[in-house]
Amino acid sequence: MTKILTILTIAIMAVGHLVPSAQAQGGPLRIEITEGVIEPLPYAVPDFVAETPGSNQISKDISRVIAEDLNGTGLFREIPAKAHISSVTNFGSPVQYADWKAINAQALITGGVSVSGDQLDVKFRVYDVFAGTELGNGLRFKGTKDGWRRMAHKVADAVYSRITGETGYFDSRVVYVSEAGPKNDRKKRLAVMDYDGANSQFLTDSSAIVLAPRFSPSGDRVLYTSYETGFPQVYVLDIGSVQRKVLSNDSGTMSFAPRFSPDGKSVVMSVTEGGNTDLFKIDIASGRRQRLTSTPSIETAPSYSPDGSKIVFESDRSGAQQLYVMNAGGGEATRISFGKGRYGTPVWSPRGDLIAFTKQNKGRFHIGVMRNDGSEERLLTASFLDEGPTWAPNGRVIMFTRETRGADGASSLYSVDVSGRNLKPVKINGGGSDPSWSPLQ
Amino acid sequence: MQIGHYISGIAHTGLIGWVLLGGVFDSDPPPMEVTEVSMISAADFDALLQTQQAPDASTDVALPTPPQDIETAPKLDSVPDVKPELDQPDQAVPLVPDVAPDVAALAPTPPEPDVLSEDAPVLPTPQTDAGVVIPEAPVRPQTRPVERVAPEPVAVPDPDTTISDALQEATKPDDAGPAREEVVEETAPEAATTEIATEPKQDEVASAAPTSSLRPRMRPAAAPTPQTDVATDAAVAAALADVAATQTAPTPAAPTGPPLTRGEKDGLRVSVQQCWVVDVGSRSADVTVVVGLELDQNGKVQGNIELLSSEGGDDAAVNTAFQAARRAVLRCQKNGYDLPVEKYDHWREIEITFNPEKMRHK
Repeated sequence: MTKILTILTIAIMAVGHLVPSAQAQGGPLRIEITEGVIEPLPYAVPDFVAETPGSNQISKDISRVIAEDLNGTGLFREIPAKAHISSVTNFGSPVQYADWKAINAQALITGGVSVSGDQLDVKFRVYDVFAGTELGNGLRFKGTKDGWRRMAHKVADAVYSRITGETGYFDSRVVYVSEAGPKNDRKKRLAVMDYDGANSQFLTDSSAIVLAPRFSPSGDRVLYTSYETGFPQVYVLDIGSVQRKVLSNDSGTMSFAPRFSPDGKSVVMSVTEGGNTDLFKIDIASGRRQRLTSTPSIETAPSYSPDGSKIVFESDRSGAQQLYVMNAGGGEATRISFGKGRYGTPVWSPRGDLIAFTKQNKGRFHIGVMRNDGSEERLLTASFLDEGPTWAPNGRVIMFTRETRGADGASSLYSVDVSGRNLKPVKINGGGSDPSWSPLQ
Repeated sequence: MQIGHYISGIAHTGLIGWVLLGGVFDSDPPPMEVTEVSMISAADFDALLQTQQAPDASTDVALPTPPQDIETAPKLDSVPDVKPELDQPDQAVPLVPDVAPDVAALAPTPPEPDVLSEDAPVLPTPQTDAGVVIPEAPVRPQTRPVERVAPEPVAVPDPDTTISDALQEATKPDDAGPAREEVVEETAPEAATTEIATEPKQDEVASAAPTSSLRPRMRPAAAPTPQTDVATDAAVAAALADVAATQTAPTPAAPTGPPLTRGEKDGLRVSVQQCWVVDVGSRSADVTVVVGLELDQNGKVQGNIELLSSEGGDDAAVNTAFQAARRAVLRCQKNGYDLPVEKYDHWREIEITFNPEKMRHK
């Protein structure tokens, strides 16, 4: 038997040697590249052309916001204007690719701005410099002058999408808990802002403690928990009208950690009854309540998968906080976290491929991500206290709360790329915690 | 034995005595728990109940004061939005076909082929490679007159005898003379050794050469011309030339000459990979693409870079991965990839696989 195998092996090897390589036969040269570089893509965005007399400043402002959006991702690097060889003075004039190649700009963004009364018109084009072609077609946005910043975000989203192939997240907002005052007497209020910290507005006063705001899938409502009655209760607040209603009004119960279903019609949250905390689904219109779990342990922090078929939540049923996944209708749950330490506040990515979480281990807090089945866990941050992750609408960036150590420690908002790069603070006035990212508007 | 009886007797006696005198079966009443009760007034009782009752929460929760009424709030520097819905710009008004940038007009005219034609004619004379094996062989027959060569060239296989161990055996029987007679005297025509000084090398090469497989390629080009007699063969020659042309035309891809060395391939790979920007957080990082391209003799990309195949990811991710690969090839070519011109046939067409698997773990 061994002889036969030996003969076969030799025969196969001999045949293999007899078969000439593809190149020896005259085929193309084939090479494989497995090592690349991780660096931001250099691009140029000259000031947009002011096409009407009163649009000089606003055209520059729009260009700056676009650049800040792109630079803030960590994926792009703007080539400063002083390095530009040629200038763009007419939106319709042909692009001098050689001039932009010379400064190693891989992408070029040109645009024009015109103002007519209160109306603002912004148009732009994106070019692949080294290919000498335009990326997509030109695009134009119309709106009011007050909305110039948002229009700039929309241009940046389109540029980001054309270069990376993924949707952007610049035209989005974040609702969070604004914090002011010393740690032992901290005032907390709901506030909403643009994703970059601009245009912040308060939604509630500081008369009661508020926690864990969550945007609705349509971005027009916010769920949050308030202690104004002495017990934690969940409220739904309409951002446009600032009107609200209590969602759970059962006396003697505590409700918290709410989150919208993907269709926005129901809410899943934790309810404590008789000293036991379980997950319930509440229909917003009718108020009908459906129990999803029934265990003596504490189940909380539920989060739907994007398709609404699953719920990930944290539970201490195994003795320590771990993450579990169950069907959206309840039933048996599957544990997905098995690493050392405690896991909490899981949030399903809008892409549906990852779950972000808070991990506490050896006195350190981490923000991490793992696959839906718990595999490929990666910790993105580490600090004295990191918690409460929320996903950007494109599933590319995570925002979270970071609190510093000590009696005068303060909470602030940070963001980090899902790759673990580009960790940076979010510019807000004062302190902040519990961010929740809106969908793309 | 008796000791056991004694012990047993004493134990039983003790047990019986304890049963009779100890009062085992007396039933004592179970112990009672005593709790002290304190009296409170009805008012106190009501007050106690009130603290245990749930707060009178109702659905008519007082509406939160809108942001403008919150005077005590720390004021923000940012200007408040008017209303979210006011800002909505009209979406995606595709531009009327603006004057498209005249890319074709701007494209620099390819400056290549003139310069290359100078080098190309030099290339077909690979005589410097004669030391390798092949070219010497066709030349030798002409310089070797038949008369000079002794009729016994068979004696040449000496090298075989030197390699084998048989030499040791041959030294033992020195007595025998036939070996001397065969090798030395008969196969030593002095004229042959003096005129052809390279014979030893030829012997070595001939023995080391795999075969004379490449010779047939050299001869056909020279062969057809001399043997034809008359003008009538001109038509035949033309026809043969046509046939030869039609036969060679479709197969120019078959390169001749030595292929690229590993170092030359690595040089090309390194040149491209230093411009391959991988976005490891993107879905395109899950996609492996194979692109095909053609280079001119300056090493610059000719025509379009094409996506030949891909693995993993959706269409958008594949497109993004392809664009990154294309950008890498174009950006790093600069004045052309540094490849040996004499091997142009080997690298005119290139397929590059961009596999980001290792990058995902960085």
